[in-house]
Amino acid sequence: MEKENILDSLNDVRVIDFTGELGPYASRLYAGLGADVIHVEPITGDPLRNIGPFYKNKPGRERSLQFLYYNAGKRGIVLDLNKDRGREIFIRLCSNADILFESCIPGYLDSLGMSYEILSSHNPRLVQVSITPFGNFGPYTDYPGSDITCSALGGFLYLGGIDNEKPVRAPDNQSYRMAEAYAAVGGACALYFARKTGIGQHVDVSCIESVGMALENAAQYWDLEGKLRRGRGREAGAATVHPCKDGYVVIVAIMGKNKRMWDTFLEWMKKENVEEWEVFDDEKWIDPSYRITDEAYETFCRIFERYTMQHTKEYLYESGQASRVAISPVSNGKDLLENPQLKHLNYWQKLYHESLGAEILYPGPPYELSSLRWRLSKPAPTFGQHTEEILKELGYTNEEIDVMAKEEVIYVAE
Amino acid sequence: MLQSNVWKKALEGIVVCDFTWVGAGPITTNVLAQCGAEVIKIESRAKLDILRLGGPFKDGIAKGIERSGYFSNRNPNKKSIALNMSHPKSKEVVTRLIKKSDIIANNFRVGQMEKWGLGWEDVRKINPRIIYVTMSLQGTQGPHKSYMGFGVNLNALCGLTAQAAFKGQRPFGTGTNYTDHVMVPTHTVFAIMAALLHREKTGEGQLIAVSQLAASIAMKPMDVMTYAANNEILEPLGYSDPNAAPHGVYTTLGYRRWIAIAVFTEEEWQSLKRVMGNPEWAEDPKFSSFEARKENEDELNQRIEEWTRWQYAEALMEELIKAGVKAGVVNDARGAIEDRHLRERRFWVYLDHPEMGISLYNRAPILFSKTPLQMHTAAPLLGHHTKDVLTDFLGYSEDEVAKMTEEGVLT
Repeated sequence: MEKENILDSLNDVRVIDFTGELGPYASRLYAGLGADVIHVEPITGDPLRNIGPFYKNKPGRERSLQFLYYNAGKRGIVLDLNKDRGREIFIRLCSNADILFESCIPGYLDSLGMSYEILSSHNPRLVQVSITPFGNFGPYTDYPGSDITCSALGGFLYLGGIDNEKPVRAPDNQSYRMAEAYAAVGGACALYFARKTGIGQHVDVSCIESVGMALENAAQYWDLEGKLRRGRGREAGAATVHPCKDGYVVIVAIMGKNKRMWDTFLEWMKKENVEEWEVFDDEKWIDPSYRITDEAYETFCRIFERYTMQHTKEYLYESGQASRVAISPVSNGKDLLENPQLKHLNYWQKLYHESLGAEILYPGPPYELSSLRWRLSKPAPTFGQHTEEILKELGYTNEEIDVMAKEEVIYVAE
Repeated sequence: MLQSNVWKKALEGIVVCDFTWVGAGPITTNVLAQCGAEVIKIESRAKLDILRLGGPFKDGIAKGIERSGYFSNRNPNKKSIALNMSHPKSKEVVTRLIKKSDIIANNFRVGQMEKWGLGWEDVRKINPRIIYVTMSLQGTQGPHKSYMGFGVNLNALCGLTAQAAFKGQRPFGTGTNYTDHVMVPTHTVFAIMAALLHREKTGEGQLIAVSQLAASIAMKPMDVMTYAANNEILEPLGYSDPNAAPHGVYTTLGYRRWIAIAVFTEEEWQSLKRVMGNPEWAEDPKFSSFEARKENEDELNQRIEEWTRWQYAEALMEELIKAGVKAGVVNDARGAIEDRHLRERRFWVYLDHPEMGISLYNRAPILFSKTPLQMHTAAPLLGHHTKDVLTDFLGYSEDEVAKMTEEGVLT
């Protein structure tokens, strides 16, 4: 894309990020577009630092790949919020910020005397976005939650299976990721409003509701037809997964009664001289009520998989797509790294980590904007890396910082 | 500075010229509409948004184009104008709309908008303040830029499906077109908001090009980062979690009824044992530490299931939660719709649709304390607002509208 008047659009936005396992991707989006994001950690450390996978499989405070990814581009400060002066620093941080993202247990900040009312009395423009399993009110508010229980309660997990099978879960804690993504959106809308009016507000984002965005049409199936649908995946050729020589491929050879799509698939089968391809040359395949039968599924698998088992996912991807068939590899990490499209786009990016003495590879920009630069910027902060720098910006003197470090109100990296 | 009492919507006054259809695009503009933007959906009988033909349908009757719940839930609060883009006179109407719009969005195949003379370079000449949004599958450059795919393709391509699998079985994924629902729309809305903030400072619009693949990978980065760092392929998860044991989905009483239980800490394990009545098997050294439980996970899960299968999921969940154990009923759609927590938070919204009657929608998962989301109008009938938008908003006379209708422009 041609770039013009490139700016870090959000370079006048300051974000405080007091999140851990749940929450960090929200402010990461802001860091990507140039905002100054300060990741606040408790003196015991962000719990995400203790969660793998770890670099070279060796646990360590600076080695969690999740921590490194979700906090890249941010600065870091370490505070003990159980101490008065720790809380005073937190309030000063929020007084100079546009947005606070936090994923504390509902009521925790209030109990420390840092409710939204108090924070906004210091800074009426402040937007506070809470990211929690169940939100800030309602009967489950105080329930402990995890990714799978939120996915379960919200109706998302149920779709990850068929018939009487138990569901599988998606990787990377998707209920957390969904809440974070919506929290980023909510924060940005509230920030836009605050810039127009001078008025900040509190924004409540929950995992259980966020997974409700991913039910596709399941809720409407119940509401309009009284039917409880599960996942798609066993209607012959319509979003089915098939084994091949070195893994799996997924194919959407037809949707609904779209004969044109099926004809395209048929052409491909013919071109590849697939044994028994003639069986697919029949009007009955256009009818979803046939494709959903066991006979159709088994027939499709028998013929199609006899072919796919002779080829690699890469071959099937290239060959099918060349015939305009919607087939894709079921990628793993290696496939993604070797994906020719992503290579061509120079999508993968690397950052050198002094603390590891090594480069770490990261996904690149999710979007391109003509006047705004996306950047990976700098590695996630090491523990206490920017404590001193940030406190000085807030007006603390060297002496004050030394005393607070000694009294373990703060942690300052060597 | 505006007064808050006259300005109650976060995106008050923002107009969206919405060419998006099917999946990720309409969800993007749905969120904008709920935040208070005026979204004008451009549709045509000549090239139908195919979701209008996708189930479920009101009472299961797949007649016409106004009964689809698949379509309706993605399009509340929007206005629909019918415009036949292959008619030469449509361009004039679109041009007027673009002049009054803040955002123009499409998720067509790369090149379609250019064919209509509505590429970024064309549109910015009409309105330099506009934010132009395109959503390609894999970017607008490169060897795979024209490759075909739906959400399920993208699920697989981006790496999500491979781990959503039971070991040794073919991968399953989410069972939906997942990438369309959250990953792509949220990134797109975020980029739009950044562009709006930028415009506040500079007065300039800009081009936003979302790659659906790139946006999806950004929300599930661990497979590739782990491979690059450790030369390791992440295993299928099933319903397990590398940091918890037990962690899974357990059968309870009832038809397709399960409970999800997640035990991360030793304390939680002790609590679970207490709720189970401290059975003898749980004292076996095989289960005495996280590492041991992980090693004997299959047997552990079996033991727990022997206990859960005679219980009601809801009651068991409450009992476990009370003891501090993370647990959740695996709700089907009915369970989620009837869930007391989601109801009290008014996540579900019923709107009255001219043909479907009072039917179910959900709002976006964002509760603003001062600019609450709007859920005011059911999904539009195709072209329901053509006349109003053309006369009241775009300044056409009734005669002009009648003439264009006759000429087949407004269909």
